[in-house]
Amino acid sequence: MQRIVHDVRSVEFGEQTRFEGGHLCVARSEVTSLCSDPSLATVRASWVSPGESARIVGPLDAVEPRAKGRGSAGGVFPGFVAPALPGGAGATHVLRGSAVVVAGFLPRAQEAVIEMSGEAAALSPLAATHNLVIEFEPAPDAPWEEVEAALRRGALRLAAHLADAALDAEPDAIEELPGLAAPDPGGPPRAALVVNLQTQGAFKDVFVYGRSMAGALPTLIEPGELEDGAVVSGQYGHPGLKNPTYLHQNNPVIAALRARSDVALGALILCPEPVDQATKELVSAHAARLCRACGVDFAIVTKEGGGNADSDMALKMDMIEDLGMPAVGLFAEMSGPDGTGAPLVAPPARATAMVSTGNYDERIALERVERALGRERIALADADATAALELPTAVIYAALSPLGWGRLTCRELGQCA
Amino acid sequence: MRVVHYLNQFFAGLGGEDQAGTPPTLREEPIGPGRRLQALIGEHEIVATVFCGDDYAAGTPGAAEQILALARSAGAELIVAGPAFTSGRYGLACASVVAAAAREGLPALASMHPENPGIEEAGGAPVIESGATGREMAVSLERLAAATVKLAAGEPLGAAEGRVGKLPRRNVLVSESAAARAVELALARLGGDREATEIPLPSVEHITPAAPIADPGQALIAILTEGGLVPAGNPDRLESARATKWVRYEIAGLDSANAPDFQSVHGGFATTWANEDPNRMLPLDVARELEREGAIGRLHSEYFSTAGNGTPVASAKRFGIEWAAELHKANVAAVVLTAT
Repeated sequence: MQRIVHDVRSVEFGEQTRFEGGHLCVARSEVTSLCSDPSLATVRASWVSPGESARIVGPLDAVEPRAKGRGSAGGVFPGFVAPALPGGAGATHVLRGSAVVVAGFLPRAQEAVIEMSGEAAALSPLAATHNLVIEFEPAPDAPWEEVEAALRRGALRLAAHLADAALDAEPDAIEELPGLAAPDPGGPPRAALVVNLQTQGAFKDVFVYGRSMAGALPTLIEPGELEDGAVVSGQYGHPGLKNPTYLHQNNPVIAALRARSDVALGALILCPEPVDQATKELVSAHAARLCRACGVDFAIVTKEGGGNADSDMALKMDMIEDLGMPAVGLFAEMSGPDGTGAPLVAPPARATAMVSTGNYDERIALERVERALGRERIALADADATAALELPTAVIYAALSPLGWGRLTCRELGQCA
Repeated sequence: MRVVHYLNQFFAGLGGEDQAGTPPTLREEPIGPGRRLQALIGEHEIVATVFCGDDYAAGTPGAAEQILALARSAGAELIVAGPAFTSGRYGLACASVVAAAAREGLPALASMHPENPGIEEAGGAPVIESGATGREMAVSLERLAAATVKLAAGEPLGAAEGRVGKLPRRNVLVSESAAARAVELALARLGGDREATEIPLPSVEHITPAAPIADPGQALIAILTEGGLVPAGNPDRLESARATKWVRYEIAGLDSANAPDFQSVHGGFATTWANEDPNRMLPLDVARELEREGAIGRLHSEYFSTAGNGTPVASAKRFGIEWAAELHKANVAAVVLTAT
């Protein structure tokens, strides 16, 4: 597959949506019509850019604008925007450096912030993008489930529409992306990437081809399908441990594998994170079996969410190792504000190779900002949305990215950084 | 800085076991090893010593907080405790005092031998290595004094300063992403390195379940929940995630946990069904039936609740210890703890 990259360097609102010379102009009227739904009373769009003294409070999902190139089969966000058929081939245009971010209240959405400047900006992938922030008021009496579905459809349509504006623009880069590597006795070691998707019911659900992954068994897909938005997030809990659609489109482990020539991606396996132990074991056993069937040399396992999701990690890592393949897992530490508690709730028993994405309990100080979007107050700190605050790292959106985006880790005092 | 020094009854010069019940006492001067410590820390002044008997400190709930309050009354800006060497009760007291200070953001450090069982209780406060016995007082005080001066200057204390016990794990930004490090770690494993990891494997404590109770018909039974069930309006503001506390409510005389009198504030599951019938979370209706039938002796007069969602093990352990102590005190024989 080809990724046709257009760097977004400046943004504004205007009469008509267009993209030219790195400048993205968006028509508010088009935003409103693409997001319009009987369950939404109002929809408001604002731009917020990297380095601004601004904070997005209550960010829900974030999506990177992408569109399928002219003449390429399929479309983006299959199951929501394009028909639900396996894609991931041909050319996909990307508006790199921009995102559509929905922000506001939903039930079960734990309090989250994105800091566009200051120390915490380095912790969130969405602090480095020009964000088209969509705020909303639900229609009176609209069920929250319908509000959520409308926001998701709106954000995805909008993301596809924005990238459509770049189809004829001169790209900044054309990247050739390899598919899954077939077994090759003389080739480099092949990795399986096992991606656990949180599936805990409404507002904590992840969709594959428009269907909830809840109840499914592990599924093998091509990395190009992720690029085209086959995985869409509807999961609003655990902000620091959240995997927004944006990061599924730009899976960090796949990017890290692509950056090296001494290793290849041999299998990409999507799994649900069931809520009961028996199903966790069943799903883990199937995931391990798929790794073996694909003949990979090792596996990297990722998750979404807190302690419950750690038990899925531990089971899969142990079962994969039991079948003779080393397994590495990405975990956030939960060792309390002072960092002295046990770092994991449910560690693996036999597979012990773990990468730390940081301690989610450690407090971080945020400076006062000039502008806040999304919500007017931060309930957790009982403070105005623009106030100077001290919050757990867990509140910073995707700061402890279990997909491996971030550069946080934990070190014991006295260890070199 | 104004330093307050904590000692036990023995090092304060009161006496041995016969004085172990001495309550916390403040004296506005350095005492015993504090005099040598004062000489070593130079510009900083030991403005007071608080001492307490080992039995009192180890056996009185809230003793550490009393000691801390006395230290604060003397204007403490930094607290030094010990050296406690291998003395268990003294080590526990030193650790509890500095942990309580650290929780309140007051700089504090303790000195004891790495094998002192109290070391586990120091929380986020540093513990500096001492010798095993008072014969090594001089070298222990020198190390403690050097660490005190560093802490007073706001510098972190690590292994180089003789820090022992649990070292806090702090967030740092490194140059490579976690994803790139995962690939690197996997290749190291593939190359035969079985030890490589960024997270030391925590030791998981295995709890042996208690024996079944002989006669439930005579037993006092409690119902508890980690499902965040609280009276409507959440009067004590129990957190929905990363709870720092637990709450307790009277249920004496109540036959059923009815909607809308109760609600779940748990942030980790869909609470619709629990809120529709709170007995699903706290099975009060069925417990009362069993009580009437005589299947259980009596239902405890209150229930405990917390929200087990993103809770660090350390907090969960503390809740467990506190619940067990409360239930034991009330002669509860068995509990039903509902989870989500």
